[in-house]
This record gives sequence, C-alpha cells and structure tokens, in this order.
Amino acid sequence: MSETTTNPHGIAEGHPDQRPMIVLEGVSKTYPGQTIPAVAELDLAVPRGSIVMLVGPSGCGKTTTLKMMNRLIEPTTGRILLDGEDVTGVNADQLRRRIGYVIQQVGLFPHFTVGENIAVVPRMLGWDRQRIRQRVDELLELVGLHPREFRDRYPRQLSGGQQQRVGVARALAADPPVMLMDEPFGAIDPVTRERLHDEFLEIQRTVRKTICFVTHDLQEAIKLGDHIAIFTAGGRLAQYDTPEGILSRPANDFVAEFVGSGAAVRRLHLIALSTLDLDEIATGSSPTAAALVTVPLSGSVYDAVDAMLDAQTSVVAVVDDDGQAVGALRWNTLVEKLQLRGLHP
Amino acid sequence: MDPISYLRENVGTVLFYGEQHFLVVLCAIALGSAISIGFALLVSMDAGSQRWSLDWIVGAVREGALVVTAAALTVPSLALLVLLLPLFGLGAATTVTALTIYSLYTVLRNSVAGLSSVDASVLESAKGLGMGRLRRLIWIQFPLAWPVILNGIRVATLIDVAIAAVAALVRGPGLGQLVLTGLSRYGAANAFNQVLVGTLGCLVVAAVFEIFYAVVERLTVPRGIRV
Repeated sequence: MSETTTNPHGIAEGHPDQRPMIVLEGVSKTYPGQTIPAVAELDLAVPRGSIVMLVGPSGCGKTTTLKMMNRLIEPTTGRILLDGEDVTGVNADQLRRRIGYVIQQVGLFPHFTVGENIAVVPRMLGWDRQRIRQRVDELLELVGLHPREFRDRYPRQLSGGQQQRVGVARALAADPPVMLMDEPFGAIDPVTRERLHDEFLEIQRTVRKTICFVTHDLQEAIKLGDHIAIFTAGGRLAQYDTPEGILSRPANDFVAEFVGSGAAVRRLHLIALSTLDLDEIATGSSPTAAALVTVPLSGSVYDAVDAMLDAQTSVVAVVDDDGQAVGALRWNTLVEKLQLRGLHP
Repeated sequence: MDPISYLRENVGTVLFYGEQHFLVVLCAIALGSAISIGFALLVSMDAGSQRWSLDWIVGAVREGALVVTAAALTVPSLALLVLLLPLFGLGAATTVTALTIYSLYTVLRNSVAGLSSVDASVLESAKGLGMGRLRRLIWIQFPLAWPVILNGIRVATLIDVAIAAVAALVRGPGLGQLVLTGLSRYGAANAFNQVLVGTLGCLVVAAVFEIFYAVVERLTVPRGIRV
C-alpha cells in the first residue's frame, strides 16, 4: 500500500484516485499437466471506475484472466493488486466478498427467493436485517424490478433477462468497488440483450464501478467498453486500447483480422449525435421537420444511418428528450464530417 | 374363524406388534441415514481446490463405500441376522443393527447422487460470492440435494419394513412375530390368520411411513425447488 513506485504501465501509484483499481503484474497461469500457459506474462491495469472488456476467440485466456482476479483460479506466477493491495495471498473468500461476480449461467440459488439471493453477501458480512431489506429493495429498483412484485419470487418464476438482472443486483449487494462479469448477457436473446446493455450503462453511470467484462462479441465490447483488451491464443494481450483505437488503429494483423471488415461501420456506434454540428432544419422548403424520420439526440451516428437506410431517405431529424427537433443530419454532410474528424486509419 | 373376527379379537396384540415394527424400523433408518448422509457430506464437499491428489483419494473412498454397502445389501437377511447374533444376542439390538446395515446403500447412493448433481454454475456463483466450503455445503448443496436424499430414505424404509419381519427369527420385535408364530403352527386354528394379519400389518406400517414422509417432504423441501 505504501509503495510509491511506478508500475509497469508508468502510472504513478501515489495518488489514490489516479491509481488503477486492478493491476496485473506478470501474471501467468499454466494448468496442471499442460505445458502451454493459458495466460502468459500478462500486465494489465484497469483504471478506477471504468469498464474494461476482455475480448478474444475461445481459449484465449480471457476467462482465466478474469477468474484470477477473484482467485477462483490461482495464478501460477505474478501478482494481482486490488486498489494497491497485493491480494495474491489474502483469504480468497474474504476477497471475493469485496468483488462482485456475475456469470453467463447466472447461477441464482433456486431455493432462495430473489430477495434472499441478493442478500447473500450482506448476510455473510453480518449486516442487520433492516439494512439488508432496504438494500435489497434499493437494488431491485436499480435493476428495474419492482421490489414488491419480485422480492419474494423464486428464480424459476423469472425470465432469463430478469434472472440476469437479479444476478447483477446480487453482485452489487455489498457495494463492491469491483465487478467481474463473465459473458453475463451471452445467453440472452438479442432484443433483451440490447435493452440490458442500455440499462447496464445507465446503472454504471450511477454506481461507477470498476468493471472487467469478458465477451467474445466485439460489438458488445465496443458498445460497453471504455477500454478493450484483445487477447490472442496463448493468453497474450494483442492490444489494449479504447474502442476507437482498436477500430481505427489495430496494433497488428491479429487485431485487424479480429476486428474484421466493417470496422468503419462499427465505429459509427462510437460517435454520439450530440457531438456533431447538426444542420439547421430548413423551414419552408420541403421536407419539413414533421415529415422527417427522427432519431434521438442520445443515439449514435449508427442509429441515424440505420434510420436513413430503413426509411430510404438521405436526411433525418435529430430530436431531444422532449421530442423537439434540434437539427438535421444529412448523408452527404455526414460522410464529409467523418472524413474531417480524421477517423479513417 | 375368519381373518376379520381374528383381528377384532386380537386388536391389542396386533397394534402392539405394529408399533414395535414401526419403531424398530424408525430407529434403524434414523441411524442408517445419519451415518450415510454424514459420510456423503464428507466425501461430496465441493472440493474447489486445486489439490488433485486429495480429490482422487476422496473419490476412491466414496466409490469404495458404495461398493461395500451394496455388497452388504446382497447378503441374505437371514444370514446377516444370524451372523450378528454373537455380537448383539437375541432381540432388538441385532434387529436394529441389521436393518441399519440394509438401509446404508440406498441412502448413501441417493445422497452422493443428490449432492453431486447440484448445478455447477450455482456452486461457482456461490464460490464467487465468497462462500467458503462449509457454507456452500450447508446453504446450497445440502438443501438442493435434500429431495433426492429424502427419496433414498423412503426406499430404504420400505426395504427395512419388509426385512424387519424376518428379524422375528432372532426374537426381533414387530409383526414378524405374528407371521413366525403362524408359520410354526401352520394347520392349527388361526395360524393362517396370523400370517395374513402380520403381512397386511407390514403394509399398514409402510403406508404410515409414506404418509409421514409426505409430511416431512412438505415441511422441509424449500418452496423454490418443489416440483
């Protein structure tokens, strides 16, 4: 805790708020009876309050990396720092109560009610009943489930999406600073997944956790991540960068191939409409605002292009939360602007 | 005399034997279940360790115990009772011991199966939330395995109700006394009635156990996993 050296990433460990929340230093994992490591000499720093997506093909070591962070898998070498504290040797159960954990199969306890599931960690930490009850209701509200309706239900009475909301609430129960999520939305249908993504980002805006999130879906990684770590076979880090960086400046052939074609289109997700200078809506001339296809200001350029193609038009109106038009976006200006923004590789 | 009037005249005796039968089986099942479940819990504790050698030893012990108890179940009841005589003498002690031995396999097998069939993702999330081994066992594994374990106890009880009748040969308490008396004086008055009433009495005892277990199941199986 007291050391003020710099870690391998050149980030000063001095000031607590700038110190990364999770640091992996030369972490390797070789499973018994295997010669090739699943994760090899990995250095990774996860900034406080940000979402880092661990992406890569199957068998690349991304899940192993995640599970080493809460010591479900013990690293063979290296050390792991949580908020500056070396946790490689501490009591694993105590450690895990400080780290939220969400898995793809959810793993709710079928014989516990929704409320009891969420209360598991607070109960182990010895909170009093009143406080636990309040916290359960608060979390159910947070994940969009009405406490009165859902608190006393059993997991089997919930849909897949609702179960995963409870899974997230359970992981958040004792307000851990760190959340580890292993493909949490992997088994959920695309429509529900989209909605859960939006809610997840909304929740993150309020709770500001440090989140490590494993996925094999690059689309999901781009949408949710502040940073993306792309793993290559043998547990090596191919690139660790922002989504924009990954898409526009792939560090090597592996990343370029993994990102694949369509990077330019994917990048459209990253440009919020609110950051663009929109055209004024020409009053008097046709088409008028009322006749235009509209997209919300909170959306991305991707949504705007999608709306254009869908309606076979070259102009959309951008509207704010109240439905008031704030400007128009035209196909031609869009293409020019994107070039101006210098986003091409 | 027809069986009905025989029963009417001897209702006190029959009830007494029936009660004995019930109690002797209850004792044996309680003892056998405690041993089997305790053992199963020990060898089924979700290892989660990376000590492969320990897992291997525990697995070997578990399989060994299943083989031994299965073998015990195949020993003819008459033979086992006689074999136990030198140790416990005539009467209830030998009977309860034999019935306990016969209940072990069924309860052990179901307990091991129930405890190991708990969904891996449930155990992983329990571990990921910071539950230690013992807490995982008590909070998660055992309650989820309980319906399967209870079924094992039920089947073991049926087996024991039948075998308890044979124990009359070593002066074991219960309805076997009626059957045995009837058998030894076959042809005499009411001999057949005694055998018939003794046999039907066993059915009644089994039925009482079934009702008992239905109530236990209702009271102990958590609502979230009730079928």
